[in-house]
Amino acid sequence: MIDQPILRLQNVEMSFGTKQVLNGINLEVGKGQIIGYIGPNGAGKSTTVKLMLGLIEGYTGKIEIFGKDIADGDYTYKGRIGYVPETAELYDHLTASEYLTFTGEMYGLGRKEAENKAYQLMFQFGLEQAFHQRLSSFSKGMRQKVLIISSVLHNPDLLFYDEPLSGLDANSVLVVKEILAKLAKEGKTVFYSSHIMEVVEKISDRIILLVDGKVVADGSFEELQEQGKEGTLEEIFNQMTGFNEQGEIAERFVEIVREGRVHE
Amino acid sequence: MNDFKSLKVLDVFRGVFEKFDIDYPIMRQIIQLKLTMDSRRMPAIFNGYKQKKESNQFLKSLWLYLFYGLLLLTPFLFLKSQYMFATSMMFTMLMFITVTTMVSDFSAVLLDVRDKNILQPKPVSNRTLSAAKLMHIVIYLVLLNGAFVVIPFAVGVYRYGLFYGLIFLVSVLFVGSLVVVVTAFVYLFILRFFSGEKLKDIINYVQIFLAIAVMLSYQVMAHSFELSQVNIQYTFHWWHILLPPLWYGAPFEVLLNHNYSASLFVLMACGIVIPVLALRLYIKLMPAFERSLSKLLSDSVRTKGKSRPFEEWCAKILCRDPQERTFYRFAALMMRQEREFKLKAYPQVGFALVFPFVMFFNEVRMYSFKETIANENVFPVYFSALMIPTVVHLLRFSGKYKGSWIYRAAPINNDKMLYSSALKAAIMQLFFPAFIVISMAFALLFSWEVIPDIIIIFLVGILITLISYVILNGETYPFSTSHELTQDNNTMKLFMAMFVIGGFALVHFFIANIPYARGIYTLLLIAAIVIGWHVVFGKKKNHGRP
Repeated sequence: MIDQPILRLQNVEMSFGTKQVLNGINLEVGKGQIIGYIGPNGAGKSTTVKLMLGLIEGYTGKIEIFGKDIADGDYTYKGRIGYVPETAELYDHLTASEYLTFTGEMYGLGRKEAENKAYQLMFQFGLEQAFHQRLSSFSKGMRQKVLIISSVLHNPDLLFYDEPLSGLDANSVLVVKEILAKLAKEGKTVFYSSHIMEVVEKISDRIILLVDGKVVADGSFEELQEQGKEGTLEEIFNQMTGFNEQGEIAERFVEIVREGRVHE
Repeated sequence: MNDFKSLKVLDVFRGVFEKFDIDYPIMRQIIQLKLTMDSRRMPAIFNGYKQKKESNQFLKSLWLYLFYGLLLLTPFLFLKSQYMFATSMMFTMLMFITVTTMVSDFSAVLLDVRDKNILQPKPVSNRTLSAAKLMHIVIYLVLLNGAFVVIPFAVGVYRYGLFYGLIFLVSVLFVGSLVVVVTAFVYLFILRFFSGEKLKDIINYVQIFLAIAVMLSYQVMAHSFELSQVNIQYTFHWWHILLPPLWYGAPFEVLLNHNYSASLFVLMACGIVIPVLALRLYIKLMPAFERSLSKLLSDSVRTKGKSRPFEEWCAKILCRDPQERTFYRFAALMMRQEREFKLKAYPQVGFALVFPFVMFFNEVRMYSFKETIANENVFPVYFSALMIPTVVHLLRFSGKYKGSWIYRAAPINNDKMLYSSALKAAIMQLFFPAFIVISMAFALLFSWEVIPDIIIIFLVGILITLISYVILNGETYPFSTSHELTQDNNTMKLFMAMFVIGGFALVHFFIANIPYARGIYTLLLIAAIVIGWHVVFGKKKNHGRP
């Protein structure tokens, strides 16, 4: 038991129509942790995050964030959360400056304050030249940086990052990883979902593996290693999700490639 | 994928392409793919019509061009004056239509950057790629111009004989190639000096302009037959060399009327030499053009933000809550910067601006200018309120509607303020400017005494905004639905909103002559707006969404 959990999920279930997506999730997360939230496609990772943010509704069970049940209708908890969604969806006919100032203000910052802070953060990412350009002209990596900035402008205590490194170059990945570690040290909680196991293995204090809407493993990387066999997180992931056909699939794939027309 | 008829026609020329070292089967495949993609795109001339999946919108738009050809070109064939005037007018129309459709519909073809990434890595020669691009445009232009000129052509042959038809066709051919090349030059020029975003803005404005022009042309068409009574003598001035339509009026005069004056020969020579030179230059500059296309995705010119004091001021006056103010500015930005929204909303605003004047001039034609002025009839201004329901309805949509996750992720205390401020922004950004222009013009035309009436109409406009929102939108988040769903069974609701406007106009009409009634009506309207706004957007049920 953690004495002051930042977030706690009790028996959370969710279904879309007849499809059960979450089958009773139980979780407790404390302050200053980086949680690696992993699982195969369709396991319910994004759904969990969206439920906690109130983006989708209609779950059963209990979700508490900062010690308060989010179903009681008090929206203010959202002001202490930062979110980077999986798909980089933005109103991209706005400029970076316009978008960031808007989101900053939505989270309660003053106008000048939001714009200044956004500019300084863009500067740190080397994007100050692009500050007044439309987001539609941004590359994938630049958009991702804008989303990361928009998630921290209001100095939140809890961060939900869904695949935050996608599209970033190796150097920027280093920077963002370092930023996450520093934020966690300051007592912020980071809820991090990704498919890149090497990164999750390195940065997470604790790893939660979700399969078919259920938590099947929960612990630090070392604890997971003890549970299963030795190996990388990737191997543990394969083991726990019961996937071992990679050899045969690859074999068949290459066979089909080889068949048919050959270049002369 | 369909096998298009145009491709079968192209097959006839297979030998020609192969002589130019072009891989014909591959070029054919590329064009087939592009035609298939285009058949799922919406031509701008159809803007506002219901979209049905999997039917070739372009082929349908050809019927519309056929109709335009009948109404815009054919009347000139009955002019009693020289060939010069009539044919030049026809070619002016032809050029106008070709240029605007070229810019609005084919810029996607001309400016396709995906070609570079998708097709160039594949083993296809550059020659074949350029040929495919060119033939793609040629197919369109042939179909479009074909539909546009077929009726005038038939009438021309019937009236003036086969020789006339021959000159006509050759001229159309030259006009077409001139237009393609000039458009490409203009793009090249813009891309050379400005950013891709600027070019997209310009294309957007041309599309808006075309939409307004199409709507207005219905008005003009009615009068174009009256023109056929006019008899105009042509006299040459040196600056006529700068007017391409006259280049193509000249051959008719020379070859059919045997008018062998030097000036006509100069014009005719221009018509032949300039397109040929331009085409050669174009082929030479083609690589430079392709290179600058990479700039399309850039927005490198702007390095400074703009400040908008008027908008700031409006936000401060109209919204008390700071979050609402933020959202007001956001909605104003969305309306100004989203091209899809502008393409659909601005023609409505343009129409609202023009329509009262069209009504005014109709009245002038029916009575006399003096009588019309004396009537002080302000009711045509109600016609500009007709744009309000459509524009309010458009606030639901955005091309990037998925970005709306931000409304739910952010800590918003009263999510009704999202629409409340979006409507306020729409009133200030779109209705108010149009309305100021109209009322200034009417006040100048008539007298300052119409101002109370105009204030009433403006208040009705605000009330209509609110009513339209309740009837048409009703949901919580603006800019959160895909544009593809526009026009889904909302025509009925739009009609309802129009009836409401009609009702208000009737009330206004009946009270117009009762003393003091206008003052009382004004106060009533203000009260209705304040109370209505409060009822619809009041801070009641903000907690505890189920």
